[in-house]
Amino acid sequence: MNISSVIVIPGPDRAQSVVASLNALHCVEVAAVSPEGKIIALLETEDDRETIQLYEQISLMDGVMSASMVYHHKETEPEAEILLAA
Amino acid sequence: MTQVTMTRRDFIKTNAIAAAATTAGMTVPGLALAQARGGDGVRWDKGVCRYCGTGCGVLVGTKEGKIVATQGDPDCPVNSGLNCVKGYFLAKIQYGQDRLTKPLLRMKDGKFDKNGEFAPISWDQAFDIMAEKVKATMKNPDQGPFGVSMFGSGQWTIWEGYAANKLMKAGFRSNSLDPNARHCMASAVFAFIRTFGADEPMGVYDDIEHADAFALWGANMAEMHPILWSRITNRRLTAKHVKIHVLSTFGHRSCELADNEMIFTPQSDLAIANYICNYIIQNNAVNKEFVAKNVTFHKGVTDIGYGLRPNHPLEQAAGNNGYPGPDGKPKGNPNTFSATTYDEFAKFVSEYTLDKAHQISGVPKEKLEALAKIYADPKTKVMSTWTMGMNQHTRGTWINNMLYNIHLLVGKISEPGNSPFSLTGQPSACGTAREVGTFAHRLPADMLIANPQHRAAAEKIWKLPAGTISDRIGYHAVLQSRMLKDGKIGFYWTSTTNNMQAGPNVNEEMYPGWRNPKAFVVVSDVYPTVSAMSADLILPAAMWMEKEGAFGNAERRGQFWRQQVKAPGDCKSDLWQYMEFSKRFKTDEVWPAELLDKNPEYKGKTLYEVLYTNGQCNKFPKEEAAKVNAHAWAGYTNDETEAFGYYVQKGLFEEYRNFGAGKGKDLGEFDHYHRVRGLRWPVVNGKETLWRYREGFDPYVKTGEGVKFYGNPDGKARVFSLPYQDPPEKPDNEYNLWLCTGRVLEHWHTGSMTRRVPELYKSFPDAVIWIHPKDAEKRGIKRNDIVKVATRRGEIELRAETKGRNKMPEGLVFVPFFDEHRLVNKLILDATCPISKETDYKKNACKVWKV
Repeated sequence: MNISSVIVIPGPDRAQSVVASLNALHCVEVAAVSPEGKIIALLETEDDRETIQLYEQISLMDGVMSASMVYHHKETEPEAEILLAA
Repeated sequence: MTQVTMTRRDFIKTNAIAAAATTAGMTVPGLALAQARGGDGVRWDKGVCRYCGTGCGVLVGTKEGKIVATQGDPDCPVNSGLNCVKGYFLAKIQYGQDRLTKPLLRMKDGKFDKNGEFAPISWDQAFDIMAEKVKATMKNPDQGPFGVSMFGSGQWTIWEGYAANKLMKAGFRSNSLDPNARHCMASAVFAFIRTFGADEPMGVYDDIEHADAFALWGANMAEMHPILWSRITNRRLTAKHVKIHVLSTFGHRSCELADNEMIFTPQSDLAIANYICNYIIQNNAVNKEFVAKNVTFHKGVTDIGYGLRPNHPLEQAAGNNGYPGPDGKPKGNPNTFSATTYDEFAKFVSEYTLDKAHQISGVPKEKLEALAKIYADPKTKVMSTWTMGMNQHTRGTWINNMLYNIHLLVGKISEPGNSPFSLTGQPSACGTAREVGTFAHRLPADMLIANPQHRAAAEKIWKLPAGTISDRIGYHAVLQSRMLKDGKIGFYWTSTTNNMQAGPNVNEEMYPGWRNPKAFVVVSDVYPTVSAMSADLILPAAMWMEKEGAFGNAERRGQFWRQQVKAPGDCKSDLWQYMEFSKRFKTDEVWPAELLDKNPEYKGKTLYEVLYTNGQCNKFPKEEAAKVNAHAWAGYTNDETEAFGYYVQKGLFEEYRNFGAGKGKDLGEFDHYHRVRGLRWPVVNGKETLWRYREGFDPYVKTGEGVKFYGNPDGKARVFSLPYQDPPEKPDNEYNLWLCTGRVLEHWHTGSMTRRVPELYKSFPDAVIWIHPKDAEKRGIKRNDIVKVATRRGEIELRAETKGRNKMPEGLVFVPFFDEHRLVNKLILDATCPISKETDYKKNACKVWKV
């Protein structure tokens, strides 16, 4: 599976509608919205191809001025547990 | 104590959010910050993106000798952790299935044959035949030393370009070395020299956060410079007064954010620029104090032709193109100008009225006025940006000069937010092609082949006898293709570029040139590109993180990286290729006897000894590599250091640094770059410079001087009177549409790398032709139909697109050039700016019909 984060900058006064459009997408989760309206979207997909399709979709979304990839990770064992502290 | 665990999925999600929050400067409440990286066997180190001239920092993750991950570098001030979609998949560019890993020579019956099939050979065999061809070319009276020719790029690392420059201009005594930057920003270079006497922008990317208005003059930054665009977007949306003006010949993604979108008739930018100067003068908005102190006025020669072959009717008619006239003497020189006055300039531009600019450009008057006002208003800080729209222009040098005219008249230059900013398309167009001076007319640090003092300075730094460097300007990119076709070039070596796809007039000039039996063509490449497949010999190159490297970006920032992984198979870096090949030549074989008689101590030496083991390039022992990079990892070394036995990169760079030191071109110390996220030159006393030419920012401007354009001897910048002139080809009854070529977000240039990243390939597999729905309808074409597009030079077949990201005006079509199966450059006329010799890829006449 693929996990990645994207910073989405909506047009003036478009943050709300963009958040709604993002939430409507399968595999996308809005992780945070700043007071100025910057959005962090989390993409969780099966493969790179799906990631890029989603990214393209977000870039072209009505009200979106820019969308930038930040972090990307390809994971083969998503359910494995890791020890954070003991 | 209780154990705290989480699934890897949640852990990664937290990491992803944390990285984005840091990048966006946001705090996310309740976010359990992921632990620092480590323990997963991935080594992370700083790197630089391989693609465009923005120069984004990337963190590169290596595991078991392979790059497994990349991430935008949060500590790099260029991108602060952001990545564009191409950068996002950087980890994959080295691992395409069809990577070239062995030298391949065209052979028949065990011997080289121009019409043979590619067969693997050893490096030794490759260098044998190359050395034989170089020596034969030099002896051939039709060819000579300049018949030994090289074509590189702004994708060379700094030391690769530097080593190539030495090998060609000093070793082979041939100035026929040019970078593909000739196709990309030569017009910007010539204009910088004409206006300021010194190359490269005065401003920096920080201007973005200070500007009140942006004007894009032929740049679709949203797709071609996405990270800089995200900075502009951020500025526009966080400072409500900021406005964006976009000039273009068609609608594109950058227009979506524009407050003032201006779609103009191709070539009419010349008239618009002069109109703005006129507006400024008519409205009494000239910054008189600035102009009186810092500006001189000049009139450029006109009637300069179009850089076509001398027998072309347009060149026969031109009086100042520099080609031989009937008496054999050159007809003028397109790059000359004479002094004039402010009043004469004002009179000259006075004919460019709003009515006239509107009539030539087709842009509504109120839009042109709105653009003129941002420059005229003393309170508005303006950043102008441009790339190929202005540079790839038969009057490319002029339009660059004319944009500086505007900024100079109002004194909006060399201070935060007031910035005419020429963007570049390649990662080291500035760092290597320009600063190292790998052009056919240049030497490092803005020095010129034509200037005897400059040649002497280079010979001194290189520890070579006086007279080693030829005083003749070499063959530039477009001329190389013509000289190949005419049999004047016998040996041609290209690397880090794909000219058979990127160069103009492939059908009529380039392909016949490369396949001319009188030429032996060598292509160093990483994948079987169109160029590699058109060569006689292919050399497998190491790329990007397979070598230690340095790039210089568009804001004068030099950035270094360490070699992260080994190259596959027999792949070798270009640096190794040039240095190792130089061992095949003795001075006695390539230098004239008189030069050696005067300087007998150079007799019998190899070019390798003379050029690279001169006590400077080999000054730093092998152990130095580990010492310099100890802060990053223990026991570091790289392949060239191991091969030659000394820290090659450091030796070359430290020698190279002498060229610009004390001349406003100062670079930092080698070691410094390995520790930081880049330095912007001039670097004086270890400190970088943000705004050049202004007191308080630039150490070269003394207290009390205010502004000083010290590139020119009088410390002043030049404003030029230059007219609007028609392009060499315009739509007519038969070829009735404008053809413009360019790029798309997903692919970088000819797609050699991005087409091998499956995700990018699938997202934009084949080039299409964008056409206005009415133009399509008139020709019976529906969206997605297969159509043919033809110019006087050839035709290609592709799919029609009437919707999507690009919105054509009627009368103009757009085709991207990344697709090797639809080589649009077959259609492009090799007409250039006669000053810069840069081809105009934006204005050809074509016809389109349904197949």
